[in-house]
Amino acid sequence: MREIITAPLPGLDLRRHYGHYQSPAIRAGGLIFCSGMIAVDPQTGERRHGTLSSEAQVIFGNLKLLLESAGSSLDRLVQVHALIHDSAEYDVLNRVYRQYVANGPPARTVCGACLPDGARVLIECTALA
Amino acid sequence: MMTEKLARSAIQPKNALLNVSRSANLPHVPGIRVGDYLFLSGMGPIDPRTGGRNHGPIAEQVRTTLSNVKHLLESAGSSLERVVRVHVVLADISHLDEMDRVYREFFPVNPPARTAWSMQLRFGNGCEIECVALVD
Repeated sequence: MREIITAPLPGLDLRRHYGHYQSPAIRAGGLIFCSGMIAVDPQTGERRHGTLSSEAQVIFGNLKLLLESAGSSLDRLVQVHALIHDSAEYDVLNRVYRQYVANGPPARTVCGACLPDGARVLIECTALA
Repeated sequence: MMTEKLARSAIQPKNALLNVSRSANLPHVPGIRVGDYLFLSGMGPIDPRTGGRNHGPIAEQVRTTLSNVKHLLESAGSSLERVVRVHVVLADISHLDEMDRVYREFFPVNPPARTAWSMQLRFGNGCEIECVALVD
């Protein structure tokens, strides 16, 4: 069965604010698949432009809200895809990243990419439901 | 706890012209089924009538690619309605809106989770689309 997970706060629905045609997350077969998250204010959906470090912190805060509203958490992450606008900032991402996956990091791939909405970083994850 | 070991099986498109990994002798398969999940390889704008690449306008490339994804899903007993997560990779991020316009036609309600970005693609493709779906 495939179940849509709606945004726990209005700002986390990127479809509503940015027209990205996607559900915030889908629960299916014991896993939760989240859409790529960018740094937005969870209440208003406004873009929180900043450094890669500050954007990654906002993203992790948002993913925590989304996963916890679906009964999961950052401790239950299975796989992460982190896309960064400049691969030279890999170490910057790692510094922030460590703080949020302190209880055992998941599998992960990082690559440099051109991102929508002028984002410096985008994080997509799959977690245990 | 998992009591039995899951098997993994390769899936094939009914239309052999869409089996790019076989025709180009690439070390991947069109998709893998594991339990109730189906993981598809990235699909590009392959013309299902010739097996060649369709490098027309981006809207056309996205339409061809998603039609091919639909064919693969249906060949494996799944469907677009059961797609869980999609990766859309574009050669040019400025094509995002145009991609979205075509994409909506394929997922008219309750769209899957998705991440879209752009990076350099092989073979001159304007888009490549990968997905995970349920089979049940």
